[in-house]
Amino acid sequence: MGALNSVEDVTQTLASQAYIADRGLSTSVYLALSLGRPLLLEGEPGVGKTEISKALAAAFNVELIRLQCYEGIDANQALYEWDYTAQLLYVRTLSSEQAKGTEALDDLFGERFLIERPLLKAVKAGNRCILLIDEVDRSDDEFEAFLLEVLSDFQVTIPELGTIAAETRPLVIVTSNRTRDLHDALKRRCLYHWIDYPVLDREVQIVKARAPEVADGLVRKVASAVQRMRRLDMAKKPGVAETIDWARALDFLGASNLDAKTADETLGSVVKDRDDLDLVRESMSEVIK
Amino acid sequence: MPAAGSGLEYALVGFGRALRKEGLVVGSGHILTYCECVEKLDPTELADLYYGGRSCLIHRPADIPMYNRVFKAYFLDPGGEGKKVVEMKKQASAETEALMEMLMEEEKEGQEREGEPPSGIMASTLEVLRKKAFGECTPEELAALRALMARFRLIPPKRLTRRSEKAHKGKRPYLRDTVRKAMRHGGEITELSWRKRKYRQRRLILILDISGSMSTYSRALLQFAYSATRVPGKVEVFCFGTRLTRITDTLQKRNPDEALTEATKAVFDWEGGTKIGESLAHFYKNWGRRGMCRGSILIIASDGLERGDPAVLDQAMTRLARLCHAIIWMNPLKGDDPNYEPRSVGMSCAMPFVDVLLSGHDLDSLKELAEVLPTLN
Repeated sequence: MGALNSVEDVTQTLASQAYIADRGLSTSVYLALSLGRPLLLEGEPGVGKTEISKALAAAFNVELIRLQCYEGIDANQALYEWDYTAQLLYVRTLSSEQAKGTEALDDLFGERFLIERPLLKAVKAGNRCILLIDEVDRSDDEFEAFLLEVLSDFQVTIPELGTIAAETRPLVIVTSNRTRDLHDALKRRCLYHWIDYPVLDREVQIVKARAPEVADGLVRKVASAVQRMRRLDMAKKPGVAETIDWARALDFLGASNLDAKTADETLGSVVKDRDDLDLVRESMSEVIK
Repeated sequence: MPAAGSGLEYALVGFGRALRKEGLVVGSGHILTYCECVEKLDPTELADLYYGGRSCLIHRPADIPMYNRVFKAYFLDPGGEGKKVVEMKKQASAETEALMEMLMEEEKEGQEREGEPPSGIMASTLEVLRKKAFGECTPEELAALRALMARFRLIPPKRLTRRSEKAHKGKRPYLRDTVRKAMRHGGEITELSWRKRKYRQRRLILILDISGSMSTYSRALLQFAYSATRVPGKVEVFCFGTRLTRITDTLQKRNPDEALTEATKAVFDWEGGTKIGESLAHFYKNWGRRGMCRGSILIIASDGLERGDPAVLDQAMTRLARLCHAIIWMNPLKGDDPNYEPRSVGMSCAMPFVDVLLSGHDLDSLKELAEVLPTLN
């Protein structure tokens, strides 16, 4: 991992990957790197929680190992699994003499038939990777407790193989959409940062960095419109990702200006909920100025 | 230890304690982490002190305004403890300046807001902020009720989850165990191990109307909610009158009377008016939509006398019905009448979305609830 000596360094490094971070976020990342603690990022959907890990991985030129959490995920899905079908087939190919021997057992429960899942890969890779644990709020309490264990010791015990400990620790980024409250123990272990919707100037900066082909004037109009939209009582407010999508869509269609008509035609790229679409259409005069 | 002198450590610890005084949970571990963070950063840079603290001392976005307030008072205001000890750079960086501006703005806004009447309280003649003391119900009555209600076990119905566990009989083979057993027989699969999907209890959500018309029932229902949360399982409790608040946490306190008094403190509207539609819409937007409702059992206890716009109630019920597994409505006006037909506008709006209509006006009806619950599959 490259050496970052200050908060400024972090901001510059992220900017080099077209990720515009504010001071608070850069500080949290810098502290996570310096203190070797995981970083918990919470925020509304579409503000860049997952993107930052990609940017950091690209900047440091390391692998991004992603563990996508979902409801019902368990330790096997996250850590490792044995390739049972391959094992069964292998056993069938052995003669009855070989099958009874201990060598066969060693082979069967060896590296060859071990399917490594993200956490194990991260432990093995150490600081040659960045571990992203995405949407941890979709998993359940049991999985969180298990995750906490792994994050504290950074070692994995496979009964048949032994303990694999990480020689160096990677940067760990945990994201959550706040659909539920995470366990205190996990929050205590991690540094915390809440990513809010950006202010207008910053959002313009972000869109320009991500979609440089779009004209400056259009970017500003789109960003202003989205900022106004967020003030409406929408069920699902558009994130920065939606602003970028909208800007790209308009540019692709060759629109040089954002007026009510073009907005209405392209609204689907920024508003994704039926009720919200109705609401925005009603308040179009407020949104598009 | 921070090179800027031991005064800095005291300042940092003091800041942690100042936050603790405001009700924030700040342990020594957190303060230690804060000191470590500041060591890595520049202690004379205000922005670093601010953001460093934010990374390790707070864990929820709702705490940010309070953090800003305490930070400003501690590190920026002339009388602040931190200000005396920590010397800021002469040339503040651009970020520090922006930060200071932001903190000043926020404080001004906060003060202005205090002058206005808080939003959400409408100028209606009936909506007066009063707290009804629990002494109105004799302690013996409450205690007796509590004892009886504690006997009810709210057992929500179960649902299949995506996890599976080893089982004697099941539909799908459990490969790990099967392979192990096969090893004993030289690789021949002589028996299959099975797994079946686990069951899990559905979440229960109780939304209680505690407005004036419901006052005689709401106290008892609150008792019931308290007993319900004693049972293991996921139960969430909310109250509303003109506004909705979540009281699950306050109901976790050990002393039942304390819990009930705190619950009433948390909900300001007591015997005011009722805005069922708005409250349910608020619930949907802030909790329901975020995943609390999905597949859960929603129990709404209200007499349906709506003062707000029925269209809002209709929309809220539509959305909730889509998300929740089942909706139970407890209307005390139903009483013991099995042929009760709801007449009020509010109830007529809500009825199409209600799966079970109960009364909840006495202990027997609460027993009915406990009986109906496990059958809702």
